[in-house]
Amino acid sequence: MEKRVIRKETLAGIVGELAGKMRVCAPMKAEDEVLFRVLEAGEKPLIEFANAKNAPKNFLFPRTETLLKFTRTGKGMVFAGDQKDGGETLLFGVRPCDARSFTLLDMLFDQEKYRDPYYLDKREKATVVALGCVRPPYTTCFCTSVGGAPLSSEGVDILLTDLGEAYLAEFLTPKGEALREAFGGTPAGEAEEKQKETIATQAAEEIRSRIPAREIKPILDARFEDPFWNTLHQKCLACGTCTYLCPTCHCFDISDEVKRADGIRIRNWDSCMFPMFTKETLGHNPRPSQKERWRQRVMHKFRYYVDNFGAIACVGCGRCVMACPVNLDIRKVVADIAKL
Amino acid sequence: MQNPYIPVPVEVAKIITEVDTKDIKTFRFAFLRKEDEAAFEYLPGQFAELSIFGKGESPIGIASSPTQPGYLEFTVQKAGVVTTALHEMEVGTVMGVRGPLGNSWPIDYLAGKNIVIVGGGFAFTTLRSLINYMLDERNRSRFGKITVIYGARTPGLLIYKDELAEWAKRDDLALHVTVDKGDETWKGREGFVPTVCKEVAPSSENAVTVICGPPIMIRFTLPVFFELGFSKENIITSLEMRMKCGIGKCGRCNVGEKYVCKDGPVFSLAELDKLTKEY
Repeated sequence: MEKRVIRKETLAGIVGELAGKMRVCAPMKAEDEVLFRVLEAGEKPLIEFANAKNAPKNFLFPRTETLLKFTRTGKGMVFAGDQKDGGETLLFGVRPCDARSFTLLDMLFDQEKYRDPYYLDKREKATVVALGCVRPPYTTCFCTSVGGAPLSSEGVDILLTDLGEAYLAEFLTPKGEALREAFGGTPAGEAEEKQKETIATQAAEEIRSRIPAREIKPILDARFEDPFWNTLHQKCLACGTCTYLCPTCHCFDISDEVKRADGIRIRNWDSCMFPMFTKETLGHNPRPSQKERWRQRVMHKFRYYVDNFGAIACVGCGRCVMACPVNLDIRKVVADIAKL
Repeated sequence: MQNPYIPVPVEVAKIITEVDTKDIKTFRFAFLRKEDEAAFEYLPGQFAELSIFGKGESPIGIASSPTQPGYLEFTVQKAGVVTTALHEMEVGTVMGVRGPLGNSWPIDYLAGKNIVIVGGGFAFTTLRSLINYMLDERNRSRFGKITVIYGARTPGLLIYKDELAEWAKRDDLALHVTVDKGDETWKGREGFVPTVCKEVAPSSENAVTVICGPPIMIRFTLPVFFELGFSKENIITSLEMRMKCGIGKCGRCNVGEKYVCKDGPVFSLAELDKLTKEY
């Protein structure tokens, strides 16, 4: 694996230049927020930021995506082709927690029996450049409790670590290697590597928010009917913000839209927090109240995903904690479950 | 990469109105392309997404048997957007089918055993597929005694009436059709399905029962089979949940860690006991 040192002041320019050659998605200032978006050629991304409000998942699994097209004929609407996208993409400025979310989504979308071509096509064409969290950006960060780390390289093709005056760039995969020339820099030595290791240890220590995420699995296995679930959801507004900001939530709806002779079938993000999510045509709803929906969200992330894929479906980014309008904090929920 | 979201084109070849209330019809579809037909390898108990462009998709159990090549049949109740559009279709209309999806009735497990089929109302569709599969001359010797107990609320609500009449003539199948309440023309049995199961009292020896019907029927039928000595491994049923993708990705049809679309819809009672009770 090649490691190089890149001068700090050159980084944004390098990415801006790449944006003229390929699709580059990066964190940008949007009013008072930081959001991932596609850069124009030459546009420089933010380098100093905490994390983007939206997860970069959107570029692999868009909020709205066309699955297929159809058209009207004398015999009815018939299939008219599926949507193929968009070419090579650089996802720049991804935080290690969000990069890890891609590996969790891979487990679902890349199963042996059914592979999801829409996600996988984008995933295969995406190169992930992560900016390691030298200073964990928020007090709500808890990546270390769910298998991550501030400088985790899971799901990362190029990992950038801020060494003060320069970045250490680690080209971790063939996809990352392919961009080595574009990033330039000079070969890194032992000193830089040592420095990075020290930073990694310090940064992990700085993450003070710790939750017993693994420990609650056997409790969840045994406590599906626990009275705990009767009150947990009571202040939830069912707005779904937690699931829309979550980098690992993958649920979607499929619906059709028609305009005159042509139509599309699209998938949109959906949320287990919504009553309609499981409501059947004849009226029956297996999850009839917010109690069952909250239980599903917790169970899916900390029990079912572990059963099916051996991993917790949470990367500890803390977005749901920060955005919940009624301060329902998944960290507290997990801590409370541990006490059951 | 194969795209599991793309349906194959089929043409509505035949429509049979099954019940007096006219809201349950059987649709026969013919594949427009030979290669799609060859690729659509299925077993009784599987389902498919009926795909009407502009309306959406609806997951429906396959009512025909793979021993009947050349077409697929689905018996559909008119209920939501897609099924209403389907009910308005005419022979010759082109639409889509996506599948086969889900697991199936456990054919290999059923082989060599006596089979007791219990159906209620219009939840008889994939059971019909299984019956026709077992009755096929190439398969009949693989299964022991076949008992079918099928009931509906009224005679007019029984589906597959012609087929029921054919099965009644056979000596390699014991058929018990019942209605909750008969009318002036009804000469058959009257009584609820659980009661009839008690009367027929099929032996549990080397036997498996496959049950499909409304929840209330299942609730009262299960104790009858427990009393007859059927173990939970040998009581098999099929679940229904709201579905979209049908391939375990969209996240809405899970019961515990299992997706009904991908890991089901067929489960034994023993398997259901291990899952959360959320269906």
